[in-house]
Amino acid sequence: MKLELDTEACMGHGRCYGLAPGLFDADDEGHAVLLRPEVPSDLARAARDAQESCPEQAIALHE
Amino acid sequence: MNDTTNVGTVDGDRIIDTQAAESIGGDLAAALAVAEPQPVYAGITSCPMLALPGDMFVVGAAHSVDALTRNHNVRGSGALGNTGGAERPLIPLDIDRPEHTKYRKLLDPIFAAKVIAPLEQDVRELADDLIDTFIDRGQADIYDEFCAILPSTIFLRLMGIPIGDLEYFLQFKNDLLRDFPGETLTNREARMKAAGARCYRYFNQVLDDREARGAPGDDLLGRFLTAEVEGHRLTRENILDICYLLMIAGLDTVAASLSCIISWLARNPRERQRIVANPEMWPDAIEELMRWETPVPSGTRTPTVDMQIGEQTVPAGTHVAVLWASANLDPEKFKDPLTVDLTRRPNPHYSFAAGFHRCLGSHLARMELRSALDQFHRRIPDYRIPDGVELKYEALPVRLARPLPLTWNS
Repeated sequence: MKLELDTEACMGHGRCYGLAPGLFDADDEGHAVLLRPEVPSDLARAARDAQESCPEQAIALHE
Repeated sequence: MNDTTNVGTVDGDRIIDTQAAESIGGDLAAALAVAEPQPVYAGITSCPMLALPGDMFVVGAAHSVDALTRNHNVRGSGALGNTGGAERPLIPLDIDRPEHTKYRKLLDPIFAAKVIAPLEQDVRELADDLIDTFIDRGQADIYDEFCAILPSTIFLRLMGIPIGDLEYFLQFKNDLLRDFPGETLTNREARMKAAGARCYRYFNQVLDDREARGAPGDDLLGRFLTAEVEGHRLTRENILDICYLLMIAGLDTVAASLSCIISWLARNPRERQRIVANPEMWPDAIEELMRWETPVPSGTRTPTVDMQIGEQTVPAGTHVAVLWASANLDPEKFKDPLTVDLTRRPNPHYSFAAGFHRCLGSHLARMELRSALDQFHRRIPDYRIPDGVELKYEALPVRLARPLPLTWNS
């Protein structure tokens, strides 16, 4: 399972780093930073929640 | 489609959803100023775009809202004029790219989640102080005594404005943002302009004093006095235009959100008891109640080029009302949208808007809501609406429950 972040589409809602702090962090402006593109199996649910909760659909998840 | 939605009818080249059109044609604000306006908002999601008489366009379908908010050739509220009695466009609300991007680069770090997080203890202590003033009474108007005061106080502290001026600001916010029944349009405009002029005077005075003292201060006003955007200091007008926006946004929306959420929990005691027993539910519950209540129900977007939405072309320069409150109930985006599920995930709601005008204060708002609601329910877990009282709601421009009389065993 692999995550991809479109930094141009990210508007800094912060849902991803709120829901999946092990996978995403924020930069100084509050925009998302992808920490771990390869999702460990114990974070699969968090990855899905983050991807599907992004109001900008800026996150892709490749199974 | 969902079960509360009437099928749209084709009228010439215009698609009109029957229920929504009737609501808008009738007294829409009254239809929405109720405890459960969701069926009306949900009725609007079935059409990609609603064209109403008088070249009024309304979108509520999630994919139409996405198309508008993600397009770079679409302006925000500034295309309609300056918000709220302002003499110039508010920064960043009323400005668009490329200027907008410069100011967000300055303002986003100030309101980033990590910067806001350390304020949580302050909010909890303030909530406790406010609760102390009414808890032994066993009843209070929670709007006036809690919801309105808490975010305004935090805002004044952040800005570095003396707390003694709180009443002045609350009055001023009401003059700027409220609709008074029966008031003529001319009087309303004059009232807002006068309140706006007071806002500029007030901040001009504070900024003059700081400059005269040679001490900008380490609060938000101080940061604006020393900040640079692309190598240039902000002008006095820039700072005033930012302060005005923060006033409008900071004093009202969290107060309204608190009143929406607490009134929902007052009407749904079983759900409230679940959260009280499991306070770790708060973050998801707040996202869900923000989706359900959508305290800021609408915005305006204006394409600068002809744009295709659904079957229709929106001509460049046409103002489109975007109903976040409808998009939040779109079954294509949310499973069982008319069910409140306090553990809902995912929840990509539109309550802080979407696209490059995403609410600047969303992280501050979330932290305030979480801290204030958790603290309130630790102190007063069991409350109810007094017998015979029906709560009063306002729908536009901000949804809120006021007054919010509650009673509990003291």
